[in-house]
Amino acid sequence: METTPVVEFDQVTKSYGDVRAVDGLALTLRPGETVALLGPNGAGKSTTLDLLLGLKQPDSGTVRVLGRSPREAIVGGHVGAMLQSGGLMDEVTVRELVALACALHPRPFPVGEVLSRAGITQLADRKVNKLSGGQEQRVRFALATAGDSALIVLDEPTTGMDVTARQAFWATMREQADQGRTVLFATHYLEEADATADRVLVLHRGRLLADGTAAEIKAKAGARRISFDLEAVAEEAVLRALPFLTSLDISGRTVRIQSSDADATVHALYGLGLYPRNLEVAGLGLEQAFVTLTAAAEEARTS
Amino acid sequence: MTTTTFASRALIQLEVTRALRNRKFLFFSVIYPSALFLLIAGSADSVTKVTGTELTLPTFYMVAMASFGALTAVLMGNSERIAKERESGWVRQLRLTTLPGRGYVFAKTASAAVISLPSIVVVFVVAAAVKDVRLDAWQWLALTGTIWAGSLVFAALGVALGYLASGDSVRPITMIVYFGLSMLGGLWMPTTTFPQWLQDIAKWLPTHAYAALGQSIELGDAPQLKDVAILAVSFVLFAGGAAWLYRKDTLKA
Repeated sequence: METTPVVEFDQVTKSYGDVRAVDGLALTLRPGETVALLGPNGAGKSTTLDLLLGLKQPDSGTVRVLGRSPREAIVGGHVGAMLQSGGLMDEVTVRELVALACALHPRPFPVGEVLSRAGITQLADRKVNKLSGGQEQRVRFALATAGDSALIVLDEPTTGMDVTARQAFWATMREQADQGRTVLFATHYLEEADATADRVLVLHRGRLLADGTAAEIKAKAGARRISFDLEAVAEEAVLRALPFLTSLDISGRTVRIQSSDADATVHALYGLGLYPRNLEVAGLGLEQAFVTLTAAAEEARTS
Repeated sequence: MTTTTFASRALIQLEVTRALRNRKFLFFSVIYPSALFLLIAGSADSVTKVTGTELTLPTFYMVAMASFGALTAVLMGNSERIAKERESGWVRQLRLTTLPGRGYVFAKTASAAVISLPSIVVVFVVAAAVKDVRLDAWQWLALTGTIWAGSLVFAALGVALGYLASGDSVRPITMIVYFGLSMLGGLWMPTTTFPQWLQDIAKWLPTHAYAALGQSIELGDAPQLKDVAILAVSFVLFAGGAAWLYRKDTLKA
């Protein structure tokens, strides 16, 4: 039996004036998934999250959260969210604010537990307006996890955190995922998506450009790098004819290739009667894959 | 409404805690009106009537300053906070909780009302203790109830201003409205001292009607129907405006 999707976008469009921030987006998140939402600035990440949380209404299409409207899901306490644009009430202590979030949740966790999980027990008596950027983020995380919600939505959660705080944060977040919650986070730190998410969505100009595991996204981007040296200066036309080639860079006797099927490319290389030395085949980082994907999409759009 | 009340309770408590911690706000809404009362009525005798009224200076100013204090608590408290919290994104964050949208406005108004009650009572206590203002028990109760309930009109105005103005412009706009309403409405000096053309304007202001309600209670009269009507119409206008601006803000998010 098909379980109810946690999040379902059906041909959702949202425009601001002439700009289509979200353009026919179709998307389904299943229970227990940890999903990273990537995209360059202006790709529609924030609008997508706003639509998901019912803060904005789509021009057309429907957004469902656990089979209900986003607002119903939030009122039912099924969604915990931290927004970049979400402010905090000032002149109250961290503990008071977290206690408020717990009081407003239909299935709250004990305040002390929420504080310690977010790593802010030491800050509990501090005034909210006396916190650093990274500390504020942890308070926001505490607000998002004040109760037992099925879906946790995090918008650029580690902004303002140093490396140690960031690692601690993702460890906490993985705990949330391990407890069966669905986690959706937007980030521009690609290594976070690579390390944490079991599914990566790449948004570009309001459309879903890629959807898969980090490994699949890398593969989709032509994501293996082959480099080798030749005995003589290579002939470009010969190399250009190699199968699955997505980019070619020749500098003297050294050749660097990106291939969408490295195995086939290397096989063909030998087939040409060439003898590559110092052959290396390496995966691209998600970052490069991401740049390749969005650049290709941009090229396709303008040509 | 009951779910709103329930969900808002935690927020009301926190809003009140925060307001009670804010010394500046407490000073201006609770202490300042009584201080002004002593300053103006301190040296006055208890016989001379205020021009154009049947009230002595202390009784006149007691109601004027109690109304002024309540006005300060509800107007200043609401408008600036709401504008700032809209700007900081706290209002957005709250919309990600189970709190219904109007619960925020409800909590703001309720916590302002908690602060406005002492600002009324303190003026009464000071007036009775220092200037020997004596009224019947029913009059004290009716005065407190009327001025407290009437402050809802201005709480609605505060909410409307909070949704109308942005973080930077809210203070000057609120100040203009606040001083304009206080002064022209006769909370600081009797409107009977104004030139006739100004009196003609002043008598239509909600603050004038607000103080007039209290003053008719002091005289043991029934309130003027016109004053009740002005306050009722103002409330509908302010609350309607607040609701409209609130909805616009919510759609924009």
